[in-house]
Amino acid sequence: MGFARLTPTMATCPDPDAALMLRVKDGDFAAFEDLVNKYKQPVMNLVYRTLPDATEAEDLAQHVFLQVFKSAGRYEVSAKFSTWLFTIARNLCLNEIRRRSRHPADSLDEPASEEDDQPRRQPPDLKTFAPPESLLQGELEEKIEEAVASLPENQRTAILLCRGEEHSYEEIAEVLGVSVSATKSLIHRGRETLKQLLKPYLRTGAWKEKQAGNFD
Amino acid sequence: MNEAEFHESLEANWRRRLSPAEEAKVHAWLAKHPERRAEWEAESGLGHLLDQLPDAPVPSNFTARVLQAARREAARPVPRPFLAELWQRLFPRPAAGVAWAVVMLCLSGLAIQQSRQNAREQRAAGLAALGRAAGLSDPNLLADFDAIRHLPQPDDEELFVVLTHNVATQ
Repeated sequence: MGFARLTPTMATCPDPDAALMLRVKDGDFAAFEDLVNKYKQPVMNLVYRTLPDATEAEDLAQHVFLQVFKSAGRYEVSAKFSTWLFTIARNLCLNEIRRRSRHPADSLDEPASEEDDQPRRQPPDLKTFAPPESLLQGELEEKIEEAVASLPENQRTAILLCRGEEHSYEEIAEVLGVSVSATKSLIHRGRETLKQLLKPYLRTGAWKEKQAGNFD
Repeated sequence: MNEAEFHESLEANWRRRLSPAEEAKVHAWLAKHPERRAEWEAESGLGHLLDQLPDAPVPSNFTARVLQAARREAARPVPRPFLAELWQRLFPRPAAGVAWAVVMLCLSGLAIQQSRQNAREQRAAGLAALGRAAGLSDPNLLADFDAIRHLPQPDDEELFVVLTHNVATQ
């Protein structure tokens, strides 16, 4: 009590992206361009798996960055920039899901459920997942995409943000608006579902064939 | 490696591939606990499958379109608050608006002062009437109970009228 909150300046900001965002707040378009270039792929990866149509996902992803720009005047360095960015992205995705559930005729896709623990779509028939002896890589990717898309939104988002170690569990929890333990629970449940859906491919070791062709 | 470390390795699979050294430790532990191998294979395999998720397609002009939209947003005039807009329309010249505001402030101040003066005068009149009605000539008399008993008693109705008039004017 009685202590003024220290506001990080660009010089003292430990998060380089937050420093860029402070420059955007001052009207620096070059800084904004840097942020867009850095995060357009990760944002599209998240949005595309919520709105599988490429055009709609692109529109929404652009809207994410536009919202970031419009909010620049109110931006304060209270969290990591990427956490703030993905919170905006997720919220816009949820808004779109809710809009489609109210107006199902607007989208050719089946409307998504708003309830957290309900699957966005019914899990596809496992018989269709039986792999032929020679499975093309593209088909495997398609099956993985379908399985991920069938997850409830919060599980899918948790798994996608978790992959790659770019976000700590605390940051993912902040994006999802839940605790760290709830975040890990979401990831665990989502992965259990994916293991069931992709069991034939795990059993055949299709990923091992792909790995054998890589030099990593 | 123990059970807890095995669980940590399983959880590490959620986020990344294990290093060769980490994998070796896990496999050494699994050699002693073959009943856990299926669990490990499933978790590790899923990690590899998720690694094969391709990046979403991003058009080459994505950044350019975002910047274009941002520039349009920046060029949009900021809507002013309603009162500020009304003020601007009534007084397009700032000097006129300031002069008008000063005049209104002075008039308001005079009105408030006059109102207070009226209230003071009414209270004084009421107190004077109350004093006459109570027949008080010396406040020190009120300190002596016997003296109070011998003060002339005012007419109750007259006193009631004075008191209610005094309350109404406060």
